[in-house]
Amino acid sequence: MTKNATFERPQTGQSASLELTHALTQTVYREARMLDDENYVGWVKMLADDLLYHMPGIETRYRRDKTDQVNDLTRMAYYNDNLEEIKKRLSRLETGTAWSEDPATRYTHIITNVEVEMTEKEGEYQVFSNFYAYRNRNEREEDSLIGNRVDIWREAGAAFQLVKRRIILKHNVLLSKNLNIFL
Amino acid sequence: MRIERMGREPEFSQYMDLKEGWLDRRIFSDAEIYEEELYRIFARSWLFVAHESQLPKAGDFLTTHMGEDGVIVARQPDGSIKVFLNSCPHRGNKVCFADAGNTRRFVCNYHGWAFDTGGELKGMHEEYCYDEIDIDRKKNGLKQVARVAGYKGLVFATFAEDGPSLDAWLGDFRWYLDMLLDNEDGGTELIGGCIKSVINANWKFGVENFIGDAYHAGWTHDSGCRSMNNGEPFPPVDMENSYHASVNGHGWEFGTEGVGDLFLLGRPKVMEYYERIRPKMAQRLGEMRSQIFGSVASASIFPNVSFLPGISTFRQWQPKGPMEFELKTWVIVNKSMPDDIKDEITKGVMQTFGPGGTFEMDDGENWSNCTTVNRGVVTRHERLHYRCGISRQIEHDTLPGIVYRGQYNDANQRGFYQRWLDMMEADKLDAMPERPEPRLTGVSETRDVPGLFAL
Ligand code: FES
Ligand SMILES: [Fe+2]
Repeated sequence: MTKNATFERPQTGQSASLELTHALTQTVYREARMLDDENYVGWVKMLADDLLYHMPGIETRYRRDKTDQVNDLTRMAYYNDNLEEIKKRLSRLETGTAWSEDPATRYTHIITNVEVEMTEKEGEYQVFSNFYAYRNRNEREEDSLIGNRVDIWREAGAAFQLVKRRIILKHNVLLSKNLNIFL
Repeated sequence: MRIERMGREPEFSQYMDLKEGWLDRRIFSDAEIYEEELYRIFARSWLFVAHESQLPKAGDFLTTHMGEDGVIVARQPDGSIKVFLNSCPHRGNKVCFADAGNTRRFVCNYHGWAFDTGGELKGMHEEYCYDEIDIDRKKNGLKQVARVAGYKGLVFATFAEDGPSLDAWLGDFRWYLDMLLDNEDGGTELIGGCIKSVINANWKFGVENFIGDAYHAGWTHDSGCRSMNNGEPFPPVDMENSYHASVNGHGWEFGTEGVGDLFLLGRPKVMEYYERIRPKMAQRLGEMRSQIFGSVASASIFPNVSFLPGISTFRQWQPKGPMEFELKTWVIVNKSMPDDIKDEITKGVMQTFGPGGTFEMDDGENWSNCTTVNRGVVTRHERLHYRCGISRQIEHDTLPGIVYRGQYNDANQRGFYQRWLDMMEADKLDAMPERPEPRLTGVSETRDVPGLFAL
């Protein structure tokens, strides 16, 4: 009964140095701060040109079921975006007519369990993390999105850029009316 | 089987006057009316339960709801599809916990009763404890729905033994449905997976929005449209050459420009694809339908399925109490499309009409607030305005149904609530009026497709 194909994460590799781990931990914290502050201009600068930002929709299935719900990019997903597509989504906020975004949503991203590992590619690192994203809107609307992420970050000058992110939300039915948030 | 609530003779007509064009808000919030809907609408309607493509092989199953009744939909070894309650006849436990999969048996977790994929009781744990007179296995299977039928890939089920056939239920609406389900050889399929979300809104707000509310699009979705199309606003509406068509509570609102919904998807490759197949579509479905397909349009099948032809989102609004529904969404594509077109459509739908979509985000917000304001007892007794276009009904040579001119209209919504009222008040389904009298006389006129339910 150990098989749980749905949420399997890649094998762990060699841990990165203390220095790199610190730098990348600070990077994902900084990213979270930008998302909390709706600083999308700053956020987009942290994204690589060849970004894949993927959050698959995960059905509840029996353990014996071999359907690959995580890696199969042809299946339904909340996000399956490249950089251009992320920018398109963000441009909605620039139109001035995204009525439901005014008043603004109040966001807090809590990022924990950060692990940084070396990858086969020089200058690219795998970062595991967990997130707790809290939203509160208008008078008393609130919801919590909890899950984990596996990222690839690439050295880009003095900073890092996000190349790939896979987000696994632990909901089956999204317990929210929308997803006006990046995780 | 006749399921009824005891001892209530409500007069639902007090909640609306569709000739005048108003509705009472209690139908969107009142708990007792909601209970009656479960009995009178959901326990008696033909309800969408699956697309055939979700169950390609024997033993494939999925779980869903008919109203609030949980059911299993399963492909049988002979290729047919059965639908039965997801509840064990022993003590009632749920027998299947997966959204979908493939199996030979459904085995109950509580005492180990085992059912085959047709729902028949095949064995029990420690079977010796039952004497022969204790149990008749034939009578202790999973409760089957009364009828299952399909239309061009869509599988429907109903708990009602009497009442119209599925073909009669859909009636002349099949003429419209064929634009979605039969615009190319090979029919349609759903992309793998289903995205579900919860919205604190009455289920009818979702249905009525898709059945006719073109009016909200240009305002609510201005930001969505501009974000998908480099800042371009919605194309202007041609009130002369756009329509509402309502058939027995189903409805399709549409322009005839051919490209509006394709434009909103924001995927030029998909647009080119449909332009390429349009001449063939015209041969297949006629000039008129080939021009309607792809236009700014939206549609609902009574009571709780909606879709956008051209944008390819396909969805069901599952009731979960008067102020909550669960929205299930899929992407519907033609089987014969090349893979890259299917991928483009899937991505396009997720970016527009997924929970994080640039259009969808604004809708949920509206419906939820339209619903929850009715917690206020004074607010709840206020009428809502449904009079737009009330005098614009026309007769049309080609278009079946009750047809109104002008896409900005409340006509289909009125048609939907008329059917709602007909069903809430009808003791016998056969006695419900046809609205309008059907024009099509047989399936042949909608292009018959053989091999329904064949593996
Ligand atoms: S409740 Fe299912 S076996 Fe007892
Ligand atoms: Fe909408």
